[in-house]
Amino acid sequence: MLKETRYSYNELTLELVQNLKAIVGEQYVIYDDVERLEQFSHDETPGDYVSMPAAAIRPRTAEEIAAIIKLANRENIPITPRGAGSGLSGGAVPIYGGLVLSVDRMNSILEVDRDNMMIEVEPGVVANDINEHIEPFNLFYAGYPMSLETCFIGGNVAENAGGGKAVKYGVTSRYVLGLEVVTPTGEIIELGGKLVKDVTGYNMVQLMVGSEGTLGIFTKIILKLLPLPKIQADLLCLFKTSDDAISAVPKIMTGGGVIPTSIEFMDSHSVQAACEYLNESLPYEDCGAMLLISVDGMDRDVIEEQYITIGKFCQEAGAIEVYVADNPSTSERIWKVRRNIAEAFSLIEKRQFNDDIVVPPASIPAAIAKLEEISAKYQVQIPCFGHAGDGNIHARVLCRKDWDDKKWAAMQPVILKDMYQMIREQGGRLSGEHGVGCKRKKYLNQVVSEEYINMLRTVKRAFDPNNILNPGKIFDV
Amino acid sequence: MRIVVPIKQVPETRSVKMDEKTGTVIRDGVESIVNPLDLYSIEAALILKERFGGEIIAISMGPPQAATALKEALAMGIDQAILVSDRAFAGSDTWGTAYVLGEAIKTIGDYDLIICGERATDGDTGQVGPEVAAHLKLPVTTYVNGVNDWTDGALTVTRLVEHGEEKVSMQLPGVLTVVKEVSDPRLPTLDGKIRARETIMPILSFDDLKLDLKLIGLKGSPTRVVKIFRPKVTRECEIHTAEDEAGVALSVERLYNFLQEREVV
Repeated sequence: MLKETRYSYNELTLELVQNLKAIVGEQYVIYDDVERLEQFSHDETPGDYVSMPAAAIRPRTAEEIAAIIKLANRENIPITPRGAGSGLSGGAVPIYGGLVLSVDRMNSILEVDRDNMMIEVEPGVVANDINEHIEPFNLFYAGYPMSLETCFIGGNVAENAGGGKAVKYGVTSRYVLGLEVVTPTGEIIELGGKLVKDVTGYNMVQLMVGSEGTLGIFTKIILKLLPLPKIQADLLCLFKTSDDAISAVPKIMTGGGVIPTSIEFMDSHSVQAACEYLNESLPYEDCGAMLLISVDGMDRDVIEEQYITIGKFCQEAGAIEVYVADNPSTSERIWKVRRNIAEAFSLIEKRQFNDDIVVPPASIPAAIAKLEEISAKYQVQIPCFGHAGDGNIHARVLCRKDWDDKKWAAMQPVILKDMYQMIREQGGRLSGEHGVGCKRKKYLNQVVSEEYINMLRTVKRAFDPNNILNPGKIFDV
Repeated sequence: MRIVVPIKQVPETRSVKMDEKTGTVIRDGVESIVNPLDLYSIEAALILKERFGGEIIAISMGPPQAATALKEALAMGIDQAILVSDRAFAGSDTWGTAYVLGEAIKTIGDYDLIICGERATDGDTGQVGPEVAAHLKLPVTTYVNGVNDWTDGALTVTRLVEHGEEKVSMQLPGVLTVVKEVSDPRLPTLDGKIRARETIMPILSFDDLKLDLKLIGLKGSPTRVVKIFRPKVTRECEIHTAEDEAGVALSVERLYNFLQEREVV
């Protein structure tokens, strides 16, 4: 359990529960029902990031959310906003109890504006549903988190989700043009809009993106769309060593004049785990690491030229084999390996933590080499996989079989300290796309200055004077 | 060993939609791929070549776009590819198709083995392989899941039958149809793709093959597709409710008998 006590809040009384029911309707307040509340006590973060809320509430409109927040301010009850709960930083865990506010009922696609190439959605829309909805119009939303089949767009915006296509298309923030937000004091405000250019005051939209539910709850989101790329091809490149593979990444990025959609790195542990899990027969035995590189566009001949260019770079960099997938079935076969790594490791060792480190793209080889040193130093497995092209690597530290839970708990901060030391030296940060949440809060000052954290505190205090919305996340006020 | 692998280009099944009114498949904008079950015949051929040396020739009858499927086969390691394409072939059923393929295979010269996939994922008949054998008057072994040896001109293979495996020795030249268990297909390589791109693929037409017009197209096809429709799912459930302890034993016994009758346990 992970309950924090730094701030004090009032208990949720039966009378307040009645008030909440009056706002959203009786059936949308879950109270005094441990079984149904359990799902709101955690997200997907591996480890003991669990804390029960007193109640969960599922509003349908911005007005309902505003009324709930006003009530919470008046009665001093903490509110933790929640999307699909697929987060990996404990951001949606109600560490002060109180109320979890789930946006799952706010799941309408409000408008596809084909003239402006934009879409307006509610926060509870599943990320992948956006693309399924707009594909017939030959439009495309570029967000591609690995959890896209379950995660909500509201959570994507709150965490500024990245994912597999960030090398070419960037992260969520690049596509958020407008937001309707309920502030921590219960005002409904529109920020930005259907505008490509807008310098009317501070860029509040971008302040909200990645605010991890601490500065407001999004109730409408306007996203920029792109023309749908018709053709995609993927290369699966096998290298003898991790070093060979990762050293090829900067060369691919700068040398060929082609920006791939994604460059995913998978070390041999990761590939092996996923292949065994999927019963896939890729010839991974002799290879130390793989790169999965995608290109997309409108013209088959152009795409062919591009993947040949990139594939030749990989061969020059020492790839022992380069496989090509240029149709949906072969493509799915190799992406499935990448998407199932996390799941495969969850089965191998339950005791693990997953870090989401990010360094400048060119520093990736140095970071991976350092991680291998740390792995050797503590004799722990650290399978590495992730979005190498954008400098973001998911390093999963697995507990040693000979360590008991107590030893494991004691060793985690020790290993993390070494990892964060390396990140600081490389000019990186603790999290590229999962967020700080409650999981990385205590390590924040290891990689950023106290002045920076103070600036964040000032913003939070100005927005949320009573510290009602998602307290205890990112930093302590 | 000289091996011929007939392959088919099929629509990618995930994106296939049916026109409910006309009962036909909507092919507009649907991506085409190598028939997934033909990947296993390609793989089986590649494994045999690795063991015994030789050459593999892929052949496909279809519209000019079927060249894409043949290029994928080349990228996987096939040596040569031949496209058999002519408007006159349109409408041929499996018998007509097997006649055209058989005549095209005759132009290749000597060969030891023809390996087909079990069936295509679009037509789902599983007939073309054995029919090619019939046209060429060759022996055929179907549902092959493993190739053991090749000595004195005979190939020993195992094939899946209802209650196990059968070991068969077949004099070559002959025809095999293979099932998924034969081996996992390899992925096409970059070098293979580059080679496929540079390969000039011969196209055999009606005139090249000097075929009998009466034996191809709709006219030459003894079978007709009358109607395509979605089958109705008619599953019948048996529900056994146990009221007490004795009832549990009875229900378990009924379940056991049910499964045993169907040879599940």
